[in-house]
Amino acid sequence: MATDTQSQARSTDRSLSDRLDAWLAEDMSPKRALGVYAVLGVYMSFLLLPVAYMVMATFTSPDFLYSPRLVPALSELTLQNYVAILSTGLFQQYFINSTIVATATTAITLVVGTLAAYSMSRFEYPGRSGLLFTFLGTQMLPRVLILIPFFLVMFSLNLIDSLLGIVIAHSVLGIPLGTWLLKGYFDDIPESLDEAAKMDGCSHLDILGRIIVPMSLPGITVAGFYTFILSWNDFLFVSILSQTAATRTLPFGLQLFQSQNTVAWELLLTAATVTMIPVVVLFAVFQHWIVEGLASGGMKGT
Amino acid sequence: MATSTDTGPTAGGYVEEFRSFLEETWLGYALVLPAVVLMGVIIIFPTLRGIQLAFFEASLLNPEQQTFVGLQNFAQMFADATFQSALWHTVLLTSIAVSLQYLLGLGLALALKEKVPGAGLFRSLSMITWVLPIIVMVIIFRFLTQTGFGPVNVILDSLGMETAAWFGRPGVAFPLVVLMHVWRNTPFYAIALLAAMKSIPETQYEAARLDGAGPLQRFRYITLPQISYVSMIMIVLHVIFTFNNFDIVFLSTGGGPLGNTEVLATYIYKQAFQQYAMGYAASIGVVMLLIMMAFTVVYATLEARD
Repeated sequence: MATDTQSQARSTDRSLSDRLDAWLAEDMSPKRALGVYAVLGVYMSFLLLPVAYMVMATFTSPDFLYSPRLVPALSELTLQNYVAILSTGLFQQYFINSTIVATATTAITLVVGTLAAYSMSRFEYPGRSGLLFTFLGTQMLPRVLILIPFFLVMFSLNLIDSLLGIVIAHSVLGIPLGTWLLKGYFDDIPESLDEAAKMDGCSHLDILGRIIVPMSLPGITVAGFYTFILSWNDFLFVSILSQTAATRTLPFGLQLFQSQNTVAWELLLTAATVTMIPVVVLFAVFQHWIVEGLASGGMKGT
Repeated sequence: MATSTDTGPTAGGYVEEFRSFLEETWLGYALVLPAVVLMGVIIIFPTLRGIQLAFFEASLLNPEQQTFVGLQNFAQMFADATFQSALWHTVLLTSIAVSLQYLLGLGLALALKEKVPGAGLFRSLSMITWVLPIIVMVIIFRFLTQTGFGPVNVILDSLGMETAAWFGRPGVAFPLVVLMHVWRNTPFYAIALLAAMKSIPETQYEAARLDGAGPLQRFRYITLPQISYVSMIMIVLHVIFTFNNFDIVFLSTGGGPLGNTEVLATYIYKQAFQQYAMGYAASIGVVMLLIMMAFTVVYATLEARD
C-alpha cells in the first residue's frame, strides 16, 4: 500500500515535471528556466519600474503624491491630473506642434530618403559610395559644433521660430540613418525583378513605386518610426529654433515646466506621461518590425 | 529582327550604351539631389563654417564682425580649468557608461536568447526605455530622487539611511548621469547582440558540445568571435553618441552641482548661447570632433587587425 501511494506520488510528480519539460523547449531544464526568469525579472524591474511608478503616480491625488508613502489608497486614485493637463491651453498647443512637426518630418525624410536610397542602391555614378559615407559621417559630428553656424544659416533663411524650420532641421537629422536603413532593404530586393519590369516597359520611377517600395514596407516602417521618435524627442534643435510658445514642442515645453522654482509634480508627471504615449503606442504597434529591423536590418546596410 | 540582335558592338550600339549610361547617371544624381542639398545646407556647410569659426573671435550678438585670431582659441583651453574638467568628465562618462552598457547588454542578450516562454514579450518591453524622450526619463529620475516624497528617499528613510536631493549632491550627481545613460541604452545593445547571436548556426554549438566544450568555452570560442562585428558597431556608435550627448546632462543637472557633471557638449552650449563666445565654443567643438575621429580610426584599425 505504502509503496503504491509512493509510486503514485512519484508518477504524478514525474508527469508534472514532464509537462513542464514539454512546455519548455527541448534543451531547457526547469531549473535553468527559473534562473533565466530571475535574471530577466531583475533587468525588467530596473528598466520598467521607474516608468510604471511615474504612470501610477499620475493617477493619484496630491495628497498621496507629496506624502512619504509608496502605495496609494484606493480613495486617492483620480483622473483629475489628466483633466487638468489636457485642458491646459499651452499643453494642447505643444502637443499639436509636436504632432505636426514629427509627422511632417517623417513624411519628408521618407520621401527624400527613399529617393536617395533608390539612387544609391540601383544607379551607378561617380561619387556614389563616398556620398553614403559622407551622410553617415555627419552622425559623428558634435551637434553643438553644428549648432552655432546652423543658427546663423536658419536666421538668414528666415526660419527661426517657425515650425517649417524645425521640420527641416529634424529631417536633416533623420536622413542619414533613414537612407542607410532603406538602402539595406532595397539592396535585398533582387535586381532581376527590376529587369523583368523594364522588359514590361516600366520606367525607373514605376519600378520604385510598384516594386521597391511595396516590397520594403517593413524597412520603410522602421525608418519612419526612427525619424518620428527622433523628431518627437528632440530638445536641442527646438530649444535653439523656437522662441515663442507658438513653435514650442513637448520636450522643450516640459523643460520649461520643470525649471520653474516650484514644480507642480502632479502636472509635470502627467504631462510627461502624455508626451511618451504616442511613441510608446507606435512602438507597440510596429514593435516586431522595429526590433527585428533595428537589430538585423540596420546591420546589413553596411 | 535577327540582324539587329546579331550585329554586335557597332558604333550605334556604343552610342546607345553611352546614352543609357548618361541617362542612368543623370537620374541617379537627380534622385539623390534633394538629400544632398538638405544635408549640404543644414549640416555640411554649418560644420565647415564651425571649423572655420574656431580660428576667429566672434560674438553671437554681432555675428558679422569676426576677427581672425589663429590658434588663440585653442591656446585658451590650456588655461581654462572648466574646459579641462569638462573634458575629463566627458571621457570618464563615455568610458564608464559604454562599458557598463555593453556588459549589461551582453548579459541581457544571453538571458533573452534562452528559449523560455515569454522571452519575446521581455524583448519588446525592454526597448521602451530607448524610445522615451530624454526629458521624460530625466523627469522620472528627478521625481524618484526628490526629498520628502520621492520613492528612493522614502525607501532609504524607512531603512534608516541618509536622504538627500541626490541630483544636487556632488559625488552622486555624476553616477546618476551614468545610470541614466545605462538605463536608456542597455536594451539596444541587448537587441542588436541578440540578433547577432541568433544568426550563429546551432550546429556549431552541437559540434563543440560533442568535442566536450563547456558553456564558458562555447561562449568564448563560438559566440564571442561571431558577435565581434556587431559589438564593434554598437560600441563605436555609443561612444560617439555618449561623447557628443548634450540632452541628458543639460536637462538633468545642467552641468552642476558645482560643475561636477559639466561635459564638453554642455560647456560649448553655455559658451555659445549664454556667454556668446562663438569662436571659443567652436574651437572646443573642433577638439571634440578630432577626438572622435581619432577614436573611430584607432578602433576600426584594431578591429580590422583581429
